[in-house]
Amino acid sequence: MTLPTWLTIFAALFGLGLWLLLPRRIIAGRSAGAVLVTAALAVLASRMIPPGKESLTTNILFYALAALTVGSAICAMTFRSPVYCAIWFAVSVLATSGLLLIVGAQFLGVAMVVVYAGAIVVMFLFVLMLAQPEGLAFYDRLSFEPMLSSIVAATLVFMLTICLLTPGTLADTAPIDLAKAAGAAGAADGADADQSPAGPIVLGEHHVAAIGQRLFSEHLIAVQVVGVLLFAALVAAAAIAGQGRPMSDSTSAEGAS
Amino acid sequence: MNEVALLQNYLIVGGLLFAIGLLGFLSRRNMIVMFIALEMMMQGVAVSLVAWSRFHNNFDGQMLVIMIIAVAACEAAIALSLILILVRRSSNLDIAFWQTLREEGQEPTLDVEVPEPPDPHGDWPHLTPAGVDPELQPEQTGYRSRV
Repeated sequence: MTLPTWLTIFAALFGLGLWLLLPRRIIAGRSAGAVLVTAALAVLASRMIPPGKESLTTNILFYALAALTVGSAICAMTFRSPVYCAIWFAVSVLATSGLLLIVGAQFLGVAMVVVYAGAIVVMFLFVLMLAQPEGLAFYDRLSFEPMLSSIVAATLVFMLTICLLTPGTLADTAPIDLAKAAGAAGAADGADADQSPAGPIVLGEHHVAAIGQRLFSEHLIAVQVVGVLLFAALVAAAAIAGQGRPMSDSTSAEGAS
Repeated sequence: MNEVALLQNYLIVGGLLFAIGLLGFLSRRNMIVMFIALEMMMQGVAVSLVAWSRFHNNFDGQMLVIMIIAVAACEAAIALSLILILVRRSSNLDIAFWQTLREEGQEPTLDVEVPEPPDPHGDWPHLTPAGVDPELQPEQTGYRSRV
Protein backbone atom coordinates (compact mmCIF):
# COMPACT_ATOMS: atom_id res chain seq x y z
CA MET A 1 0.00 0.00 0.00
CA THR A 2 1.38 3.41 -0.93
CA LEU A 3 1.35 6.18 1.58
CA PRO A 4 -0.81 9.16 0.65
CA THR A 5 1.44 12.09 -0.21
CA TRP A 6 -0.70 14.70 1.48
CA LEU A 7 -0.65 12.75 4.72
CA THR A 8 3.14 12.57 4.67
CA ILE A 9 3.29 16.31 4.01
CA PHE A 10 0.89 16.87 6.87
CA ALA A 11 2.92 14.80 9.32
CA ALA A 12 6.19 16.48 8.33
CA LEU A 13 4.76 19.98 8.63
CA PHE A 14 3.03 19.12 11.90
CA GLY A 15 6.09 17.62 13.55
CA LEU A 16 8.39 20.42 12.42
CA GLY A 17 5.92 23.08 13.53
CA LEU A 18 5.46 21.49 16.94
CA TRP A 19 9.21 21.27 17.40
CA LEU A 20 9.55 24.96 16.59
CA LEU A 21 6.71 25.85 18.94
CA LEU A 22 7.95 23.95 21.99
CA PRO A 23 10.08 25.75 24.57
CA ARG A 24 13.69 25.31 23.51
CA ARG A 25 17.06 26.88 24.19
CA ILE A 26 16.76 29.06 21.11
CA ILE A 27 13.66 31.17 21.36
CA ALA A 28 13.49 32.12 17.66
CA GLY A 29 11.18 30.38 15.23
CA ARG A 30 7.92 30.29 17.15
CA SER A 31 5.97 32.25 14.55
CA ALA A 32 7.37 30.00 11.83
CA GLY A 33 6.21 27.02 13.89
CA ALA A 34 2.73 28.50 14.19
CA VAL A 35 2.59 28.99 10.41
CA LEU A 36 3.76 25.41 9.79
CA VAL A 37 1.23 23.89 12.20
CA THR A 38 -1.56 25.98 10.69
CA ALA A 39 -0.56 24.84 7.21
CA ALA A 40 -0.48 21.22 8.34
CA LEU A 41 -3.95 21.47 9.88
CA ALA A 42 -5.22 23.18 6.72
CA VAL A 43 -3.88 20.29 4.63
CA LEU A 44 -5.65 17.85 6.93
CA ALA A 45 -8.91 19.83 6.91
CA SER A 46 -8.90 20.06 3.11
CA ARG A 47 -8.93 16.26 2.96
CA MET A 48 -11.76 15.82 5.47
CA ILE A 49 -15.17 15.07 4.07
CA PRO A 50 -17.62 17.77 5.20
CA PRO A 51 -19.91 16.08 7.73
CA GLY A 52 -23.09 17.99 6.99
CA LYS A 53 -24.38 16.99 3.57
CA GLU A 54 -26.74 19.85 2.88
CA SER A 55 -26.35 21.93 5.99
CA LEU A 56 -23.69 24.60 5.55
CA THR A 57 -24.11 25.71 9.17
CA THR A 58 -23.09 22.32 10.50
CA ASN A 59 -19.99 22.29 8.34
CA ILE A 60 -18.93 25.76 9.39
CA LEU A 61 -19.60 24.99 13.05
CA PHE A 62 -17.70 21.73 12.91
CA TYR A 63 -14.63 23.17 11.21
CA ALA A 64 -14.55 26.25 13.44
CA LEU A 65 -14.92 24.26 16.66
CA ALA A 66 -12.43 21.60 15.58
CA ALA A 67 -9.88 24.26 14.65
CA LEU A 68 -10.44 26.02 17.97
CA THR A 69 -10.10 22.75 19.90
CA VAL A 70 -6.88 21.65 18.25
CA GLY A 71 -5.38 25.12 18.09
CA SER A 72 -5.97 25.91 21.72
CA ALA A 73 -4.69 22.44 22.67
CA ILE A 74 -1.45 23.22 20.86
CA CYS A 75 -1.29 26.59 22.61
CA ALA A 76 -1.88 24.89 25.96
CA MET A 77 1.06 22.57 25.39
CA THR A 78 3.51 25.09 23.98
CA PHE A 79 3.05 28.31 25.96
CA ARG A 80 5.78 29.00 28.47
CA SER A 81 3.69 30.37 31.29
CA PRO A 82 1.71 27.60 33.03
CA VAL A 83 -1.13 30.01 33.78
CA TYR A 84 -1.61 30.56 30.05
CA CYS A 85 -1.45 26.79 29.59
CA ALA A 86 -4.32 26.30 32.03
CA ILE A 87 -6.39 29.03 30.40
CA TRP A 88 -5.83 27.66 26.90
CA PHE A 89 -6.79 24.23 28.21
CA ALA A 90 -10.05 25.73 29.43
CA VAL A 91 -10.64 27.19 25.95
CA SER A 92 -9.97 23.77 24.46
CA VAL A 93 -12.47 22.17 26.81
CA LEU A 94 -15.12 24.74 25.89
CA ALA A 95 -14.59 24.08 22.18
CA THR A 96 -14.72 20.33 22.79
CA SER A 97 -18.03 20.68 24.54
CA GLY A 98 -19.26 22.52 21.45
CA LEU A 99 -18.15 19.55 19.35
CA LEU A 100 -20.03 17.22 21.68
CA LEU A 101 -23.14 19.38 21.31
CA ILE A 102 -22.95 19.07 17.51
CA VAL A 103 -22.86 15.32 17.72
CA GLY A 104 -25.85 15.22 20.03
CA ALA A 105 -24.28 14.59 23.43
CA GLN A 106 -25.92 17.48 25.24
CA PHE A 107 -25.49 16.18 28.76
CA LEU A 108 -21.81 15.44 28.25
CA GLY A 109 -21.20 18.82 26.67
CA VAL A 110 -22.55 20.55 29.75
CA ALA A 111 -20.87 18.13 32.16
CA MET A 112 -17.54 18.71 30.46
CA VAL A 113 -17.82 22.47 30.99
CA VAL A 114 -18.86 22.06 34.61
CA VAL A 115 -16.25 19.47 35.57
CA TYR A 116 -13.25 20.48 33.50
CA ALA A 117 -13.54 24.19 32.90
CA GLY A 118 -15.36 24.82 36.15
CA ALA A 119 -13.52 22.63 38.60
CA ILE A 120 -10.29 21.22 37.33
CA VAL A 121 -8.93 24.35 35.66
CA VAL A 122 -9.74 26.42 38.72
CA MET A 123 -7.91 23.85 40.83
CA PHE A 124 -4.91 24.07 38.48
CA LEU A 125 -4.88 27.83 38.87
CA PHE A 126 -5.09 27.52 42.66
CA VAL A 127 -2.10 25.20 42.77
CA LEU A 128 -0.20 27.43 40.37
CA MET A 129 -0.81 30.48 42.49
CA LEU A 130 0.22 28.52 45.56
CA ALA A 131 3.38 27.13 44.07
CA GLN A 132 4.60 29.80 41.74
CA PRO A 133 3.68 33.35 42.57
CA GLU A 134 6.59 34.75 40.57
CA GLY A 135 6.97 34.93 36.82
CA LEU A 136 8.46 32.38 34.47
CA ALA A 137 10.72 29.75 35.94
CA PHE A 138 13.67 28.32 34.05
CA TYR A 139 12.06 24.91 33.67
CA ASP A 140 9.17 26.44 31.77
CA ARG A 141 11.61 27.71 29.18
CA LEU A 142 13.14 24.28 28.55
CA SER A 143 11.65 20.97 27.58
CA PHE A 144 12.77 17.37 27.48
CA GLU A 145 13.76 16.20 24.01
CA PRO A 146 11.47 18.52 22.01
CA MET A 147 12.46 16.98 18.67
CA LEU A 148 11.86 13.37 19.70
CA SER A 149 8.50 14.11 21.25
CA SER A 150 7.36 16.13 18.23
CA ILE A 151 8.32 13.20 16.01
CA VAL A 152 6.37 10.84 18.27
CA ALA A 153 3.27 13.05 18.18
CA ALA A 154 3.37 13.55 14.40
CA THR A 155 3.92 9.83 13.82
CA LEU A 156 1.01 8.96 16.08
CA VAL A 157 -1.36 11.25 14.17
CA PHE A 158 0.00 9.96 10.87
CA MET A 159 -0.59 6.33 11.75
CA LEU A 160 -4.01 6.92 13.30
CA THR A 161 -5.15 8.84 10.22
CA ILE A 162 -3.82 6.11 7.91
CA CYS A 163 -5.77 3.56 9.92
CA LEU A 164 -8.91 5.66 9.51
CA LEU A 165 -8.49 6.25 5.80
CA THR A 166 -7.47 2.77 4.73
CA PRO A 167 -10.27 1.31 2.61
CA GLY A 168 -12.08 -1.48 4.33
CA THR A 169 -11.69 -0.20 7.87
CA LEU A 170 -14.02 2.68 8.47
CA ALA A 171 -15.70 3.46 5.17
CA ASP A 172 -17.39 0.07 5.05
CA THR A 173 -18.46 0.06 8.68
CA ALA A 174 -22.16 -0.08 9.29
CA PRO A 175 -23.72 0.92 12.59
CA ILE A 176 -24.56 -1.97 14.84
CA ASP A 177 -28.31 -2.26 14.97
CA LEU A 178 -28.78 -3.21 18.59
CA ALA A 179 -32.53 -3.33 18.34
CA LYS A 180 -32.32 -5.85 15.53
CA ALA A 181 -29.67 -7.85 17.36
CA ALA A 182 -31.75 -7.94 20.51
CA GLY A 183 -34.76 -8.91 18.43
CA ALA A 184 -32.86 -11.80 16.87
CA ALA A 185 -31.68 -12.95 20.27
CA GLY A 186 -35.06 -12.53 21.87
CA ALA A 187 -36.98 -14.17 19.02
CA ALA A 188 -35.79 -17.57 20.21
CA ASP A 189 -37.60 -17.35 23.52
CA GLY A 190 -40.11 -14.76 22.42
CA ALA A 191 -39.20 -12.41 25.24
CA ASP A 192 -38.98 -8.62 25.27
CA ALA A 193 -37.95 -8.12 21.66
CA ASP A 194 -40.26 -5.18 21.18
CA GLN A 195 -39.02 -3.31 24.24
CA SER A 196 -35.89 -1.91 22.65
CA PRO A 197 -36.94 1.30 20.93
CA ALA A 198 -36.25 1.72 17.24
CA GLY A 199 -35.42 5.00 15.57
CA PRO A 200 -33.15 7.73 16.88
CA ILE A 201 -32.01 6.96 20.42
CA VAL A 202 -29.08 9.29 20.92
CA LEU A 203 -30.73 12.09 18.95
CA GLY A 204 -34.14 11.39 20.45
CA GLU A 205 -36.32 13.94 22.14
CA HIS A 206 -35.77 13.34 25.85
CA HIS A 207 -32.03 13.03 25.69
CA VAL A 208 -31.07 13.70 29.30
CA ALA A 209 -33.96 11.66 30.63
CA ALA A 210 -32.87 8.75 28.46
CA ILE A 211 -29.29 9.05 29.69
CA GLY A 212 -30.44 9.10 33.29
CA GLN A 213 -32.62 6.08 32.72
CA ARG A 214 -29.75 4.09 31.22
CA LEU A 215 -27.30 5.29 33.85
CA PHE A 216 -29.43 4.21 36.78
CA SER A 217 -30.71 0.96 35.33
CA GLU A 218 -28.14 -0.74 33.10
CA HIS A 219 -25.08 0.91 34.62
CA LEU A 220 -26.22 1.13 38.23
CA ILE A 221 -23.34 -0.90 39.64
CA ALA A 222 -20.82 1.18 37.73
CA VAL A 223 -22.36 4.33 39.20
CA GLN A 224 -22.04 2.90 42.70
CA VAL A 225 -18.43 1.91 42.10
CA VAL A 226 -17.63 5.38 40.77
CA GLY A 227 -19.22 6.88 43.87
CA VAL A 228 -17.00 4.76 46.11
CA LEU A 229 -14.03 5.70 43.97
CA LEU A 230 -14.76 9.41 44.33
CA PHE A 231 -15.03 9.03 48.10
CA ALA A 232 -11.80 7.07 48.28
CA ALA A 233 -10.07 9.71 46.17
CA LEU A 234 -11.36 12.42 48.50
CA VAL A 235 -10.00 10.64 51.56
CA ALA A 236 -6.71 9.88 49.82
CA ALA A 237 -6.24 13.46 48.68
CA ALA A 238 -6.88 14.78 52.18
CA ALA A 239 -4.51 12.22 53.69
CA ILE A 240 -1.75 12.85 51.16
CA ALA A 241 -1.97 16.62 51.33
CA GLY A 242 -1.70 16.46 55.11
CA GLN A 243 1.56 14.50 54.97
CA GLY A 244 3.99 17.23 54.15
CA ARG A 245 2.66 19.73 56.66
CA PRO A 246 5.04 20.58 59.48
CA MET A 247 3.77 18.91 62.61
CA SER A 248 2.08 20.96 65.28
CA ASP A 249 3.61 21.15 68.73
CA SER A 250 1.47 18.50 70.40
CA THR A 251 1.97 15.85 67.72
CA SER A 252 5.70 16.51 67.42
CA ALA A 253 6.04 16.23 71.18
CA GLU A 254 4.22 12.92 71.05
CA GLY A 255 6.46 11.75 68.25
CA ALA A 256 9.59 12.77 70.16
CA SER A 257 8.60 11.07 73.39
CA MET B 1 -25.70 14.28 8.00
CA ASN B 2 -23.07 12.05 6.50
CA GLU B 3 -22.57 9.74 9.44
CA VAL B 4 -19.39 8.01 8.32
CA ALA B 5 -17.74 11.35 7.50
CA LEU B 6 -18.85 12.70 10.87
CA LEU B 7 -17.36 9.71 12.68
CA GLN B 8 -14.14 9.93 10.70
CA ASN B 9 -13.69 13.64 11.37
CA TYR B 10 -14.36 13.23 15.05
CA LEU B 11 -11.90 10.37 15.30
CA ILE B 12 -9.26 12.52 13.60
CA VAL B 13 -9.90 15.38 16.03
CA GLY B 14 -9.75 12.95 18.96
CA GLY B 15 -6.49 11.50 17.66
CA LEU B 16 -5.02 14.98 17.28
CA LEU B 17 -5.99 15.88 20.84
CA PHE B 18 -4.45 12.65 22.12
CA ALA B 19 -1.21 13.21 20.18
CA ILE B 20 -0.89 16.81 21.34
CA GLY B 21 -1.44 15.70 24.93
CA LEU B 22 1.21 13.01 24.50
CA LEU B 23 3.59 15.61 23.13
CA GLY B 24 3.02 17.84 26.14
CA PHE B 25 3.40 14.99 28.60
CA LEU B 26 6.65 13.83 27.06
CA SER B 27 8.31 17.18 26.65
CA ARG B 28 7.12 19.67 29.25
CA ARG B 29 8.88 19.87 32.60
CA ASN B 30 6.33 21.70 34.69
CA MET B 31 4.32 19.15 36.69
CA ILE B 32 1.06 21.07 36.32
CA VAL B 33 1.48 21.32 32.55
CA MET B 34 2.20 17.59 32.40
CA PHE B 35 -1.02 17.02 34.26
CA ILE B 36 -2.95 19.27 31.87
CA ALA B 37 -1.50 17.15 29.08
CA LEU B 38 -2.89 14.01 30.72
CA GLU B 39 -6.33 15.57 30.92
CA MET B 40 -6.07 16.52 27.27
CA MET B 41 -5.35 12.94 26.28
CA MET B 42 -8.47 11.83 28.15
CA GLN B 43 -10.42 14.53 26.36
CA GLY B 44 -9.35 13.09 23.02
CA VAL B 45 -10.56 9.67 24.09
CA ALA B 46 -13.88 11.20 25.18
CA VAL B 47 -14.39 12.85 21.79
CA SER B 48 -13.80 9.53 20.02
CA LEU B 49 -16.16 7.64 22.33
CA VAL B 50 -18.95 10.15 21.85
CA ALA B 51 -18.51 9.94 18.08
CA TRP B 52 -18.84 6.15 18.21
CA SER B 53 -21.90 6.52 20.42
CA ARG B 54 -23.54 8.74 17.83
CA PHE B 55 -22.54 6.41 15.00
CA HIS B 56 -24.00 3.30 16.59
CA ASN B 57 -27.03 5.16 17.95
CA ASN B 58 -26.30 3.79 21.37
CA PHE B 59 -25.70 5.42 24.75
CA ASP B 60 -22.93 3.12 25.94
CA GLY B 61 -20.13 5.33 24.64
CA GLN B 62 -21.53 8.31 26.48
CA MET B 63 -21.84 6.25 29.67
CA LEU B 64 -18.16 5.42 29.38
CA VAL B 65 -17.37 9.12 28.99
CA ILE B 66 -19.33 9.91 32.16
CA MET B 67 -17.22 7.35 34.00
CA ILE B 68 -14.07 8.86 32.44
CA ILE B 69 -15.03 12.30 33.71
CA ALA B 70 -15.55 10.95 37.23
CA VAL B 71 -12.22 9.13 37.16
CA ALA B 72 -10.55 12.29 35.83
CA ALA B 73 -11.91 14.23 38.79
CA CYS B 74 -10.51 11.62 41.22
CA GLU B 75 -7.20 11.68 39.43
CA ALA B 76 -7.08 15.48 39.54
CA ALA B 77 -7.63 15.51 43.30
CA ILE B 78 -4.96 12.92 44.05
CA ALA B 79 -2.41 14.20 41.55
CA LEU B 80 -2.73 17.79 42.71
CA SER B 81 -2.25 16.77 46.34
CA LEU B 82 0.84 14.78 45.32
CA ILE B 83 2.11 17.82 43.43
CA LEU B 84 1.50 19.93 46.53
CA ILE B 85 3.68 17.61 48.59
CA LEU B 86 6.45 17.57 46.02
CA VAL B 87 6.34 21.36 45.79
CA ARG B 88 6.60 21.67 49.55
CA ARG B 89 9.75 19.59 49.53
CA SER B 90 11.44 21.00 46.44
CA SER B 91 9.86 24.46 46.32
CA ASN B 92 9.47 24.32 42.55
CA LEU B 93 7.36 22.51 40.00
CA ASP B 94 10.27 21.09 38.02
CA ILE B 95 9.93 17.36 37.41
CA ALA B 96 13.67 17.14 36.71
CA PHE B 97 14.30 17.96 40.38
CA TRP B 98 13.21 14.39 41.14
CA GLN B 99 15.44 12.76 38.59
CA THR B 100 17.42 11.03 41.32
CA LEU B 101 14.52 8.57 41.27
CA ARG B 102 15.54 7.47 37.77
CA GLU B 103 16.57 3.98 36.87
CA GLU B 104 20.10 2.79 37.47
CA GLY B 105 22.38 3.44 34.52
CA GLN B 106 20.33 6.27 33.06
CA GLU B 107 22.13 9.47 32.20
CA PRO B 108 21.06 12.47 34.26
CA THR B 109 19.44 15.43 32.57
CA LEU B 110 21.62 18.44 33.01
CA ASP B 111 20.71 21.99 32.16
CA VAL B 112 23.80 23.10 30.33
CA GLU B 113 22.34 26.30 28.98
CA VAL B 114 19.26 28.02 30.25
CA PRO B 115 17.63 30.69 28.09
CA GLU B 116 17.42 34.17 29.47
CA PRO B 117 14.24 35.01 31.35
CA PRO B 118 12.09 37.61 29.65
CA ASP B 119 12.32 41.05 31.17
CA PRO B 120 9.15 41.50 33.24
CA HIS B 121 9.31 45.26 32.82
CA GLY B 122 10.26 45.18 29.19
CA ASP B 123 7.02 46.07 27.50
CA TRP B 124 5.72 48.74 29.82
CA PRO B 125 5.70 52.33 28.66
CA HIS B 126 7.89 54.68 30.60
CA LEU B 127 6.09 57.79 31.76
CA THR B 128 7.85 60.85 32.93
CA PRO B 129 7.06 61.50 36.58
CA ALA B 130 4.73 64.44 36.99
CA GLY B 131 2.77 66.11 39.73
CA VAL B 132 3.33 65.73 43.43
CA ASP B 133 3.16 62.67 45.62
CA PRO B 134 -0.28 62.21 47.12
CA GLU B 135 -0.53 62.74 50.82
CA LEU B 136 -1.00 59.40 52.57
CA GLN B 137 -3.29 58.93 55.48
CA PRO B 138 -1.55 57.39 58.50
CA GLU B 139 -3.49 54.13 58.20
CA GLN B 140 -2.60 53.80 54.50
CA THR B 141 1.11 53.51 55.16
CA GLY B 142 0.67 49.97 56.43
CA TYR B 143 -0.90 48.73 53.18
CA ARG B 144 0.98 46.20 51.13
CA SER B 145 0.49 45.95 47.39
CA ARG B 146 1.11 42.20 47.52
CA VAL B 147 1.48 39.59 50.18
